[in-house]
Amino acid sequence: MRRLWLIPLGLIALLIPVSVVLAGGEGGFDGVVRSIESRYHVRATRIPFMGLISMISEKATQKGVSDLHVAEFESFSGPVDGDELNRMVETKLGSGWERIIRETSHNGDKQTLIFIRPQGERMGLFVVDLDGHELDVVEVSVDPNHLNENIGHYGHRHVSEKDRDESD
Amino acid sequence: MRTRILAFVLGVTALAVPVLAQTDQLPLPPAVEKDLAARAANVTEVTLGRNMLAFAAKFMNGKDKDEAATRQLIDGLDGIYVRSYEFDKEGQYSTDEIEQLRKYFETSEWSPIVRERERKTGETTDVMVKLVNGETHGMFILTAEPKELTIVLILGPIRMDDLGKLKGIGGLGALGDVEKSTHSKDKGKESGAEKNAPGKDKGKDKDKKGGDQ
Repeated sequence: MRRLWLIPLGLIALLIPVSVVLAGGEGGFDGVVRSIESRYHVRATRIPFMGLISMISEKATQKGVSDLHVAEFESFSGPVDGDELNRMVETKLGSGWERIIRETSHNGDKQTLIFIRPQGERMGLFVVDLDGHELDVVEVSVDPNHLNENIGHYGHRHVSEKDRDESD
Repeated sequence: MRTRILAFVLGVTALAVPVLAQTDQLPLPPAVEKDLAARAANVTEVTLGRNMLAFAAKFMNGKDKDEAATRQLIDGLDGIYVRSYEFDKEGQYSTDEIEQLRKYFETSEWSPIVRERERKTGETTDVMVKLVNGETHGMFILTAEPKELTIVLILGPIRMDDLGKLKGIGGLGALGDVEKSTHSKDKGKESGAEKNAPGKDKGKDKDKKGGDQ
């Protein structure tokens, strides 16, 4: 009877490996980049002074855009299994991220994955885009209110008017 | 002691269930979706779950009317799903598959409101709505062209008048047509015009049943 405490302990022991696998060691942007490097035997081109660029963009956009991470893979060869890439990115990103757009071509030379994660008043955006021999991975944190204002300022109104004219 | 253990096990299960229940899959027969994706040259998937829609609604501060209406529309929605399949050649999906999709929604809750068949181009459009106590709680749009198939599924309470506001979202352009068709239908009603007048659209069968709830 006293050994019954072993049951919850066993359950926890069973759950721990699952959570470790889900976390997949290193996660987030670096985790995704590393897994792409090891799976497809490619090296990401590191953009020098990325931290500085991110800081400048944060200042320039009045915090509209921040925490910019970019990894570029050039000379990406071989077709990509869209399902496999999607699974890999999803696993590495971990919980909180939701994929909202996925575009995939049957021959594997075009793949786009867009994930979003709510970050309080901000929004995390994670994009993986393969086009032919180039694959880009971008992570950025944006202020949706700021983005909204800019979209409204630069074109949304024009489109709306056009649409209204058409519907009339 | 046993009660505590039972409570613990139940607690762990309760924590695990929401994680397992989270899915980005379109609530369609998965086999159909997979088969179509396997044959398509290009597949586009847009998945906006309840959480994402609620998050998006948070940032529509309603400074203009359109934004306020869109916020109102998406706030209560359970999900918006779009699947677009582009094929290299004609005939890469069968009419049986289309029928399978239609039949999936041909339940007592779902009613067809638009059924359009273009004889010349072979294009077909079906729009079905889910009615709960006379209110629209879901919409299914299926557009089939010889080399393209688009599925749009919106779940949750929908205000038909505001639906066109979503047409800006990728793949939801058809919603503008749905809005137009509901508006033109209303105009038709007002003017006493006859619906689906025969011979009006040559080579086009159009059957709008909706909205008369």
